[in-house]
Amino acid sequence: MRRDVFQAIADPTRREIINLIAHQSLNINSVTRNFDVSRTAIYKHIKILSECGLVVLKQQGREHFCEARLEKLNQVSVWIEQYRKIWDARLDSLENYLDQLQTKRKKRPWVKTQRKKNIKH
Amino acid sequence: MANQVEQPAQRDLVISRILNAPRELVFKAWTDPKHIAKWWGPKGFTAPVCKLDVRVGGAILIHMRGPDGVVYPMHGVFREIIVPERLVFISKALEDEKGNAGFEVVTTVTFDEHNGKTKLSLHAAVTVLKPTSEVAKSLGGMEVGWNQSLDRLTALVEEATIS
Repeated sequence: MRRDVFQAIADPTRREIINLIAHQSLNINSVTRNFDVSRTAIYKHIKILSECGLVVLKQQGREHFCEARLEKLNQVSVWIEQYRKIWDARLDSLENYLDQLQTKRKKRPWVKTQRKKNIKH
Repeated sequence: MANQVEQPAQRDLVISRILNAPRELVFKAWTDPKHIAKWWGPKGFTAPVCKLDVRVGGAILIHMRGPDGVVYPMHGVFREIIVPERLVFISKALEDEKGNAGFEVVTTVTFDEHNGKTKLSLHAAVTVLKPTSEVAKSLGGMEVGWNQSLDRLTALVEEATIS
């Protein structure tokens, strides 16, 4: 099954796991202790995270440690964050344009200018 | 005007605004190329190409030209049109030379009447088609790069994601 970063972060438990291991690698038991669900359930989440490339499992003796790999997460977040800024700016621009259009229609071009001139120096 | 920005999930972008204009006019501003060319791009940008085939399956082609002469193309396809209430279109981002996109975005825009004004709600659902290093590399020069410092933004988003 094809996995992507969005699937990884779609689930709240998986987001919580990422938060836990973001600054330190933990073994699966330590991760499980933070949740009310079984070790098997947590292991399944970690497996999905590793398939998405957000977690790497490293064996040390008998323990499996989970290490976070957050670069991929940044790609997505950065893109969405930028996309949000684009739309904010674009809607600002739409808002101004609609104002212009309507001012023209009403033939009262002074209305907007007057509002702006209210600033006292 | 009122402006709310929220992100219910990381893959979605939701923005809503109250616009001081009747719904028919707002809808027209979204579907008439002559209007779109006036507001779609950032300040100082022109739209040498602005074609909209406003029907289901119809194509959207907008070329924004920056003050430095660089052209930023946007390709899309209309998936749903309900005059004057709702528009759904699919667009691709981070396309490579072969036209393969890195992201696919389904944008739904709804227009609601709100005491003579229009409440515009925009929902963009983003799907990663190719989560590879190529996508990461092209992030620097992509359409939406505008003037953001990517490093600063990465740090900001990193913080938000981890905390």
